[in-house]
This record gives sequence, C-alpha cells and structure tokens, in this order.
Amino acid sequence: MGIFEWIRLIAGSALLACGLFIFFTEIFGIFHFRYVLNRMHAAAMGDTLGIGSCLLGLIIFSGVNFTSLKLLLIIIFLWFASPVSSHMLSRLEVATNENLEAHCAIYPDLETLEAEFRETDAQGGSDSSDEEKGGAV
Amino acid sequence: MIYHYIYIGTLIILAAMLFACLIRAVRGPRIADRLVAVNMMGTMVMVIISVLALMLNEGYLVDVCLIYAMISFLAVVILSKVYIGVYEERLHKTQKPEDNGSDEGGVSNGNF
Repeated sequence: MGIFEWIRLIAGSALLACGLFIFFTEIFGIFHFRYVLNRMHAAAMGDTLGIGSCLLGLIIFSGVNFTSLKLLLIIIFLWFASPVSSHMLSRLEVATNENLEAHCAIYPDLETLEAEFRETDAQGGSDSSDEEKGGAV
Repeated sequence: MIYHYIYIGTLIILAAMLFACLIRAVRGPRIADRLVAVNMMGTMVMVIISVLALMLNEGYLVDVCLIYAMISFLAVVILSKVYIGVYEERLHKTQKPEDNGSDEGGVSNGNF
C-alpha cells in the first residue's frame, strides 16, 4: 500500500473510533442521569456528532463517488432533523408531566426569571452556582 | 482485508450498544425515555446500514439509510404529537364537570 492508502486508513479508522466513543458516551449518559430531560441532553449528542464522525470516516474509506455524496446528505439531514425531534420530545415531557416542579424550576414567563437572575447578581455571583436553575419552557 | 476487520469490529461494537439502548427503552419509566432510546437506536441502525453498504460494496443500501433517517424522524415527531393529544384528551375528559382548565401555565397551547 502506498502512503496515501495508509493515511486514508488511519484517518478513517480514527474518525470511526471517535464516533463509536461518542456513541458509548451517549449510552453511559442515558444510564447515568436520572430524569429524561437530562438524558435527552446526552442523547442528542450522538444524533449529530456521533453519526457525523462515523459517516465522515466511512466517506474517507469510500473515496470520492456517489455513495459518499449520499452519506454526506444523511449527515446534513440529521443536522436539521435532530433538534426538531429533541424539541418535540421535550415538549411531550413538559406537557404530560404533572409534577415537573420536583425535577426543575418552572417560570411562568421570562420576566420573573430575569428578575431572579438580577437579584442573585446583586447579592453576589458566588452563591448562584449552588442552587439549581433549570428554567423549563 | 484490513478494512473487512475494521467493519466487522465496528458492527460488533454497535450491536452491543444497540442492545444496551434496547434495555433503556424497555426500562424507561416514562414515555419520553422510551422515545429517546428509540431515537438513539435509529441513529445506530443508520450507522450499521452505512457500514454494511461499504462492506458489501452495495451502494443502494445508502439510499435505504437515507429513507430510514427520514422515517425515524417522522416517527418521533408524530408519536410525540399523538401522546400529547392523548394526554390532553384524557385530561379534558376527567376535568369536564368543573371547567376545562387544561392550560398548565401556557405549556401546552393545544394545537393538536
């Protein structure tokens, strides 16, 4: 094999292994977190970055032909589709959970949230990291 | 030859991860957990189909993968819409005698 063949092999394998590692991180996160809105944070990573680097490694393996163009099309489609499906899933969770206040803080509108942030900034920013501020909706 | 071993190793690792994902889909306490796990399984199956397309040297499998991506996205969106609709209908039915107070602080603006 020539030098370019070796470069292609090493770069493609590295990208494929990177994608598999991101998938493993996703699995770890989905078993580690306790609530679905936290789990979604880990799960949305694999939809874009994991499959992106896996298919980029396969594109490098495949070379320049029509197959790699279609693989690139899959990556671009998932960049658009993954945020929409994550948004729909979080809307489902927020709409159907009755005791959402047990998991994260809920603010009825943005003005109260901003007022609370301004209060904590006026008191001093050191204690604001202790309390949880997960502004849902 | 070395490409063949790389593809086989990738497929084995992805199959093990797919099984772990299936465990989460079965055990998930809420519906959104299961849908997140199913979405992840769809992503991993897409990678498996693409690896198979290069391993078997069949270019048309990538078309299958593209259609799979579209159908997986559509399934997640429509299932979440349907579950929101089912939940609001059930809430509406139980709270019918008093009043239809199904607006939970502007969370669900009921366009289903």
